[in-house]
Amino acid sequence: MTNLDWVVLVLALVSIVAYGLYRSRGSNTVDRYLLAGKSMPWYAMALSIMATQASAITFISTTGQSYVDGMRFVQFYFGLPLAMVIICATVVPMFHHARVYTAYEYLEKRFDTKTRALGSIIFLCQRGLSAGLTIYAPALVLSVILGWPERTTTILMGATVVTYTVLGGIKAVTWSDVQQMAIIFVGLVISLVTVIVLLPSSVSFGDAVFLAGAAGRLNAVTTNFDWNDRFNLWSGLIGGTFLFLSYFGCDQSQVQRYLTGKSIAQSRLSLLFNAVAKIPMQFFILFIGAMVFVFYLFVQPPLLFQQAELKRIAALSEFAPMNDQYQRAFNARKQAALALVDAHHAGDSAGEERRRAEYRAAQRELDAARSSASKLVSETGGEKGFNDTNYIFLSFVTKYLPSGVVGLVIAVIFAATMSASSGEINSLATVSVIDIYQRHFKRGASDHHYLWASRWLTLFWGVYAVVFAGWAKRLGSLIVAVNKVGSLFYGSLLGCFVLAILFPRVRGTAVFTGMLAGEAAIFATAWFTDISWLWYNVIGCAVVMIVALVITYASPETTYATPGTQAQE
Amino acid sequence: MPHTRDVPDDPPPFLRSWRRVYIATLIYLVLIITTAWIFTRFYR
Repeated sequence: MTNLDWVVLVLALVSIVAYGLYRSRGSNTVDRYLLAGKSMPWYAMALSIMATQASAITFISTTGQSYVDGMRFVQFYFGLPLAMVIICATVVPMFHHARVYTAYEYLEKRFDTKTRALGSIIFLCQRGLSAGLTIYAPALVLSVILGWPERTTTILMGATVVTYTVLGGIKAVTWSDVQQMAIIFVGLVISLVTVIVLLPSSVSFGDAVFLAGAAGRLNAVTTNFDWNDRFNLWSGLIGGTFLFLSYFGCDQSQVQRYLTGKSIAQSRLSLLFNAVAKIPMQFFILFIGAMVFVFYLFVQPPLLFQQAELKRIAALSEFAPMNDQYQRAFNARKQAALALVDAHHAGDSAGEERRRAEYRAAQRELDAARSSASKLVSETGGEKGFNDTNYIFLSFVTKYLPSGVVGLVIAVIFAATMSASSGEINSLATVSVIDIYQRHFKRGASDHHYLWASRWLTLFWGVYAVVFAGWAKRLGSLIVAVNKVGSLFYGSLLGCFVLAILFPRVRGTAVFTGMLAGEAAIFATAWFTDISWLWYNVIGCAVVMIVALVITYASPETTYATPGTQAQE
Repeated sequence: MPHTRDVPDDPPPFLRSWRRVYIATLIYLVLIITTAWIFTRFYR
């Protein structure tokens, strides 16, 4: 990093924190601290929702995933518009009319205390786990760039986020998110433009897209159905819909964003904005990864992007033949890529097919060498199941982007982390105060007491996230890890809320039993089968509903409950 | 701790009803998947 990079980075971070704190003035009651006094406009909520979801993991891991596996990850988001429409039509007005601080508060109004407590605990477990991952990603960035220990960078990141989240509450979180998204958009556009400018002069943008496609990196839609395939059209539409229904309908980190709205219409607009904008945004980020892949067709990438591990295995006897194979494959791929572009320009379809086959064969050879190197890392005392996907984009940024732009991209990653992490910590504190502390330990205290309880619990969750981040590096690709952890818990919560909305006869005990059965089914699926994690939400939701409905309809009919009122046991 | 106040349920600022807004969102989804599918086929 040059001095200019540091200036850009520090200016961006200071302005984000200062702006958030400035806009959060007057957050001196629980209502204002946790729900911004229900005063937020739709665009602030929309950008805050987007920022909370788009963590640093999105930029670090998604671009790397596109580099190694193509753009098919975008299908994961195909369920989002479907989920948003359902949530806008059902959950948004329901939560607003129920006058709740948290989604789980509604469960007590509809079912009973134990269902609310179980819902809250499931949320705290799930979001608590991912809070650590969110902070770990940028800590990884700093440790790669500055050579600092990951623990130091994790603590620094956590301290910054906790400071403005504790002081400003949800207003600081939301308005910081707005500014963070502006920085993220600018950083993304500059990154893509820079990658394209850095391509050899003989390779046009059209050629770059053609080469990415020929290597299978533009596979945005795959229509074949496979239970074990994480990303295809069907897992995205069905599994993705269930995941996003759970995420935006039952996860307090998102629910709290749209509960701050001035009106139901403002809350709906904020969600529908995400329904429309999220897929193009993910497509854009993945496309950057595909263009980085094309850039490395002409500039030899390192055998492994994790420099520390590369240096370690370079001293081993197995490394030299592996590296030779890699260099041969790179040269063959470069020649084949240039020849393929020439054949394409000449309209020589037979030559194009032949060059395409050579290009793909060289790519397979290159992948094999990288795979052998990763295996060598694992077998010689390195991380088990070593994966350098998260280092690809960062390695490119720090090595090839011009001065100033590096600082901006690092600021993007920081901004994304701060927005996602502050939202998580804020929602964890809210559930801890409203659903656990106020409900079970200290009822009827003053507003001032709960305000300070919220601040102390925000601090607690911030410290917890930092501590848990130390464990996160064992989880492989970060973007997958975050969603996988979420999928272990979301299905049960979704089943619970679906029963609350659609089945007035179902009561607390049946739902509570169903949720326990749902969690058992999800963990059994994860432990004993190879079924992709995107389906866990579907399985969990189905088991909760089936068990609760069987218990309900197998027992004698008693008093009916309607949404918004508590059933009589 | 004072309870949060209720909020109004207004019509959307465009397309006159929420039902129409939802249908427009779903049409958008179909269009974007179709575009992505064509993109994939074209560059495969």
